Amino acid sequence: MSLLALSFTLLFVMITMLVSVWQKLGLERDIAIGTIRSAVQLLLVGYVLQFVFNTKNVLLIALIVLFMLTIACLNAAKRGAGLRGIVWRVAAAIGTTELLMMGLLIGFGIIDATAQYIIPISGMTIGNAMVVAGLFLNQMKQEVEASKGEIEVLLSLGSNAKQAMAGVTKRAVKSSMIPTIDGMKTVGLVQLPGMMTGMIIAGANPIDAVRYQILIVFAFASSAAVTSIILSLLSYRLWFTKDLRIQIPEQKG
Amino acid sequence: MIPILQLENIKKNRRAEESTPLFAGVNAEVAEPDSIALLGVSGQGKSTLLRIMSLLDAPDGGEIRLHNNPQAEMDPRQWRMNVCYVAQQAVMLPGTIDDNIKTASLLHGKPFDREHAERLRERLGLGGLDPAKKASELSGGEKQRVSLLRSLMLRPQVLLLDEVTASLDQASKQKVEDVLLERHREEGTTLIWVTHDLEQALQVSRTVWFMAEGTLLEKGGTESFFQHPATDAGLKYIRASGSGE
Repeated sequence: MSLLALSFTLLFVMITMLVSVWQKLGLERDIAIGTIRSAVQLLLVGYVLQFVFNTKNVLLIALIVLFMLTIACLNAAKRGAGLRGIVWRVAAAIGTTELLMMGLLIGFGIIDATAQYIIPISGMTIGNAMVVAGLFLNQMKQEVEASKGEIEVLLSLGSNAKQAMAGVTKRAVKSSMIPTIDGMKTVGLVQLPGMMTGMIIAGANPIDAVRYQILIVFAFASSAAVTSIILSLLSYRLWFTKDLRIQIPEQKG
Repeated sequence: MIPILQLENIKKNRRAEESTPLFAGVNAEVAEPDSIALLGVSGQGKSTLLRIMSLLDAPDGGEIRLHNNPQAEMDPRQWRMNVCYVAQQAVMLPGTIDDNIKTASLLHGKPFDREHAERLRERLGLGGLDPAKKASELSGGEKQRVSLLRSLMLRPQVLLLDEVTASLDQASKQKVEDVLLERHREEGTTLIWVTHDLEQALQVSRTVWFMAEGTLLEKGGTESFFQHPATDAGLKYIRASGSGE
């Protein structure tokens, strides 16, 4: 796509702006910021990737993956604001998921150990794990509040934290995985996934594109499971005080 | 002799913005197995005091001890297995009646005493129910009795009973009282009843703890409390409740 063609896409921004002005949505400023940020961020990433793909420096790849991880963890941990040390627990869950995924993909020779594969697939894995971790923490908060009676019954009968939370964490793990699993069921029928669309537009054979998409869908399913189970194991105790009373973090704002 | 349970200067604040505490200076001791009625008008913090005794709520001051062991030094699980709270709102755990009754043995990896459970089921008037029935489908009164049975299976030394007969008809209430008093007599289980039913308090308790004026105002024998309450608040309470002399 030529730069001229790219600049014509600003038409879409104009349409959005016009709708905002016409309907008095007051979103013009946000749209402008969003437009500039997305353009700058993506262009920057493009140049960074081009550079990284050329250098083949392992350290640089690791650095980029680490950067993605950091952003993802900080973002997901917001859903668990108020829980002590939740960022590190989210980092352990997402980090383990990423290591496991890459280990399997590279170990079995499913993908080549090059930046061209590792970075985009890591991005998708970490991104999905971030969404799952956020959903899990959100769900936990709701479950703990809704099931306070159930948890206290178990505590009253002398249960430990893990026993008291067994039902709650199970339900939260399940509901954090549902969007990913539902996505698996409708993929290709309702929408063509972004990666596959991109590959096809860039000229790849659709069958090739589909193969990679299948890889991604399956990897997402297991990364969702791994992330939310690890996070549940690492975080269930945070809902209790040291002497085993329920504590629900105060909602800020 | 080492007392079973001691409350020393227990204080509980209301929400942060209010200045007067819910209660303060609560001192009490269960020296030997007893059946205690914890009385007082609504809003005195009777349930909260029970929840503090079962470590579900933290006091804002003071100390509780079990067999002279301070709460802070004990494993909360051990404590709760000995001092078991039965909530006013019976919450059923997911699963069947049987699942609920077996909870204590499952949690602690102990064999399930089926015979004991069956006997209690009969005596509490739950014998006619299919044990495989979903607990969530039970009536309020049935849930209350299943919840009590679930706690009795733990054989705690102290049972904290938060209006556990409130949603029961006269016959079921009688059954529950009989079972609990038998436990008290035969196994030396201490019963602490929160109740608004003064008839019941007279029948089931030997001791009264009366909460008023933001503290545990009176402690004494049940009969003497009802006949000669030591404070005006006590007298007013008995008169208002309509069963005093």
